[in-house]
Amino acid sequence: MTPAAIGVDVGSTTCKAVAIDADGRILARAVEPLDPRIEPQVERLVAAVGGGAGPEVPLGATGYGRKRVKAGRAVTEITCHARGAYARTGRPGVLVDMGGQDTKVIRVGAAGEVLDFAMNDKCAAGTGRFLEVILGRLRVPFDEVGALAGGAAKAVTVSSTCTVFAESEVISLVAGGAPPDGIVKGLHQALASRVAALARAVASGAPEMFLSGGVALNAAMGAALRDALARPVRVVPEPQLVGALGAALCVLR
Amino acid sequence: MAVLPVHYPKELLTALGVLAVELWGPPGPPRGDAAGRLQPYVCALARNALAFLASGGADAVDGVLFPHTCDSIQGLATLAADFGGWSRPAFTFLHPRGPPRPSARAFLRAELRSLAAALEPLAGRSLTPAKLAWALELHAEIHAARAALLDQRPRVALSDPELYALLRRGEWLWPEEHLAELRAARAVMADRPAVQGVPILVSGYVPEPPAILEALGAVGAYVAADDYAAVGRRVVRPGAPGSAGPEEDPWDRLVARCWAAPPCPTRSADPGARAAHLVALAERSGARGVLLHVVKFCEPELFDVPAIRQAFAARGTPVLVLEGELEAELSAQAVTRIEAFVELVSAREAA
Amino acid sequence: MILRRVQYEAARRVVGPVLASLDAWQRRLRRRRGRPRAGPFGPPLQSTRKLKELMAVHYYQGRFADGAVPVAWVTSGFPVEVLRPLGFHAVYPENHAAICGVQRLVPALSDAAEAEGFSRDLCSYARTDLGSVIAGRTPVGRLPRPDLLACCTNICQTVLYWYRALAERLGVPLVLVDTPYVYGREAKPHLLRYVRDQLEELVRVAERVSGRRTEPEALAEAARLAKVGTDLWGECLALGRHRPAPWTAIDGFFHMAPIVSLRGSEACNAYYRLLRDELADRVRRGVGGIRDERHRLLWDNLPIWFAVRELSTLFAERGFNFVCTSYTNAWAEAGSRIDPADPLGSAASAYTHVILNQDLPNRLGILRRLARDYAADGAVLHSDRSCKPYSIGQVDLKERLAAELGIRVLLLEADHSDPRAWAAEQGENRLTAFMEGFA
Repeated sequence: MTPAAIGVDVGSTTCKAVAIDADGRILARAVEPLDPRIEPQVERLVAAVGGGAGPEVPLGATGYGRKRVKAGRAVTEITCHARGAYARTGRPGVLVDMGGQDTKVIRVGAAGEVLDFAMNDKCAAGTGRFLEVILGRLRVPFDEVGALAGGAAKAVTVSSTCTVFAESEVISLVAGGAPPDGIVKGLHQALASRVAALARAVASGAPEMFLSGGVALNAAMGAALRDALARPVRVVPEPQLVGALGAALCVLR
Repeated sequence: MAVLPVHYPKELLTALGVLAVELWGPPGPPRGDAAGRLQPYVCALARNALAFLASGGADAVDGVLFPHTCDSIQGLATLAADFGGWSRPAFTFLHPRGPPRPSARAFLRAELRSLAAALEPLAGRSLTPAKLAWALELHAEIHAARAALLDQRPRVALSDPELYALLRRGEWLWPEEHLAELRAARAVMADRPAVQGVPILVSGYVPEPPAILEALGAVGAYVAADDYAAVGRRVVRPGAPGSAGPEEDPWDRLVARCWAAPPCPTRSADPGARAAHLVALAERSGARGVLLHVVKFCEPELFDVPAIRQAFAARGTPVLVLEGELEAELSAQAVTRIEAFVELVSAREAA
Repeated sequence: MILRRVQYEAARRVVGPVLASLDAWQRRLRRRRGRPRAGPFGPPLQSTRKLKELMAVHYYQGRFADGAVPVAWVTSGFPVEVLRPLGFHAVYPENHAAICGVQRLVPALSDAAEAEGFSRDLCSYARTDLGSVIAGRTPVGRLPRPDLLACCTNICQTVLYWYRALAERLGVPLVLVDTPYVYGREAKPHLLRYVRDQLEELVRVAERVSGRRTEPEALAEAARLAKVGTDLWGECLALGRHRPAPWTAIDGFFHMAPIVSLRGSEACNAYYRLLRDELADRVRRGVGGIRDERHRLLWDNLPIWFAVRELSTLFAERGFNFVCTSYTNAWAEAGSRIDPADPLGSAASAYTHVILNQDLPNRLGILRRLARDYAADGAVLHSDRSCKPYSIGQVDLKERLAAELGIRVLLLEADHSDPRAWAAEQGENRLTAFMEGFA
């Protein structure tokens, strides 16, 4: 089946592509770690999801590399994530998108439009990169994080949310004999409190909260965010693809 | 005379025949090693200025004037003048904080007199009331011309980068030359709007890097109203106190002039008054979004953000707060924020 | 009104003795358990009990102040003695924020301010205080609502922005005493005249708010009490010149509360007579603030409230004592300028010539004098992310102190009350390495 539109999300750590039909349903998807040679990678992924579709299929591009996607129309991640998340949940609310290099909090309106947004400042605190660095230190594989933190009896307090500070704080906690599962849980709490501070600036009232982005694949993050915000946080289905889906929806005729 | 931001009695300098060359950083990476003398949590403007002075960047001038402005520039003044970095004459100007109370007016008058007395030997001439009156008139004209260009922005057939380049040349040109350029620009103003796009109100400290204007233009937006401390927030509009009346005592006019520009936190304006001023600017210019472009660690600007956000939230006008550090290039994240913001404002318009 | 007044008075008269007996009872209990006092510190100061009682009563009484007496929230450098004759109960948001800092409540309170758009790059005291008002949370039970906000810019311009935000939120008049920065040794006459004029304006505003009139004798008496209190505090600090120093400057951070919050009152002065006598007695008996004083240090800038105990222990364990600080000293400097015969004129001069309102050569002079008078062989300059006026220039001050006095100087980056800006591991590592250099 020829797709009605294709979306690519050239992020800071991964490159994502989806093809959708005229109703916005995902027909095909692809995710790869980001290649420094962006153009050939985008061509390859578009070909993979497009199933031989020609240039007549509209292409939407988002993410930091969006302007490197020549054939596509560039739309920012903020607009795309709002559109994508709204398409998957069908509801307005506040979307927290946690990607590799930045975290965005987007207030999504009743038609999937952006009402307001906030982003982390330029240090990596509160982003996927922060988690990656420190989990790497602890030698915890990403797919085991959820279970490890979920099983922790008690969180170990990690006060610093600066990547550099937190890394050394974690080293000293390990040296001091703190249990790794408790540290991982504490780390997620520290991160969640940072994101919650960002979210509060946008989320006045009590809207529904959603979580998207690669970090959302980690169940511990959703749990920590729920605790920090003291309200339910729903993970958008296929959270990593929300941006690419939104990009495709933005160009869908 | 090199002058640090923001507010200073330029008329006084003009009357003494002293050319003011304003030092807004300069932006970009600091020159030389002196930047290390200020901690990383001090604003980039103070750090860059120290590095610039210490590396001989301002050696062509005869003196530096440090207006009080904020804790950081005040600290910079004593750091550079007393501990090395600037060994030639340094002058200070302390604008009173708070509302124009009788005590503050009397102080300001005495402070202006004191500055004039300190500058006279450097200028090699004494300040006469007639000269001061002349300088007041000249600057009143400059203000009127700047106000006309800013307040009738759509009729000015210049791109944002071009308009700002023109306005910001006033930071270092002789006043007469600047006035001639402004008049030339006014003369070619169109009868009907020459600029189209999404109108945005911009407030903040200084439009650096200029790429911020290009980023707005690239996504179909333009600066419909300006409240940058360096630009629109220093414009005294005709009719404001001290803006006219040659029959008045020039010193009284100068004192009045110092309080006549729009509300600015570095002169301790009330945040509510500033927010109200911005709302009025937005209404007059038809701006549909507000970009607050603040220098990181700038306390005066940062303390006003909640009041401004609240005022525009009440009107349903979107506000984007963008922090910068006078960097040479705009970061990809900053570009994304600006683009997403314009997308948001446009989408709202379409709906 | 009358009932509130009775409650307010009773709070002071009743609670003090109750707290004192509670404390005595706890001590007896502890002694019975026979827990030995180990650690690197000397025996605790007896006066601390009285200090706790004094401050607890002050805060407890504060709960009943609004409606009973006029209430002012004031900055630490405000000429509060001008308000005393009008019966104001003074609340110090900075002191309150420091209490929040010690109790590590800053992240939670700051979050509330940040949610309203106050940047995390702003002073953590301001964020804490605004957050406390926004969230309606405080560790002291209840802060009385102010009738007047009184702000003096001699410590920073930040307080002006902070108090304006409070004024807008609370709908309370703000009175400002603007003290232009002093470049050079002495302020120019027109500058002092300006400050004096403002003090006169202040008296009128405060009279209107309180509905009372200022009696000249009462104003002179408040100035006299402030002068005596300031000098007594100076005497307490000066006893630290003895070797071993009878207390630690870290103790001083806590014992400074009355001179900041109760300046110009007899209770404040009575407390410092007690403290001075105890310190003098310790000097006579050779009792030190730490057991084994081998090195003497100077501290510059505000304390790191949330880590004060950990850090002083780290130092004390290695035989290092902080014997003086430019911060606690700031409240001992003004005494010589205060003149009860000219309360307003002398206050204008005293409150304009304070360490943070004067240029860096003056600051260097104070540090040099302290280091010499207290025979310090090292200095730690706390580079305080939240306090720019105190921190700008420290890189140069460090170089100059080290070169001129031949002492070791460390620049330590932290924050006075936000633990999120403090890297405990790196910080302690640096401090330990610094101390190793003294061997």
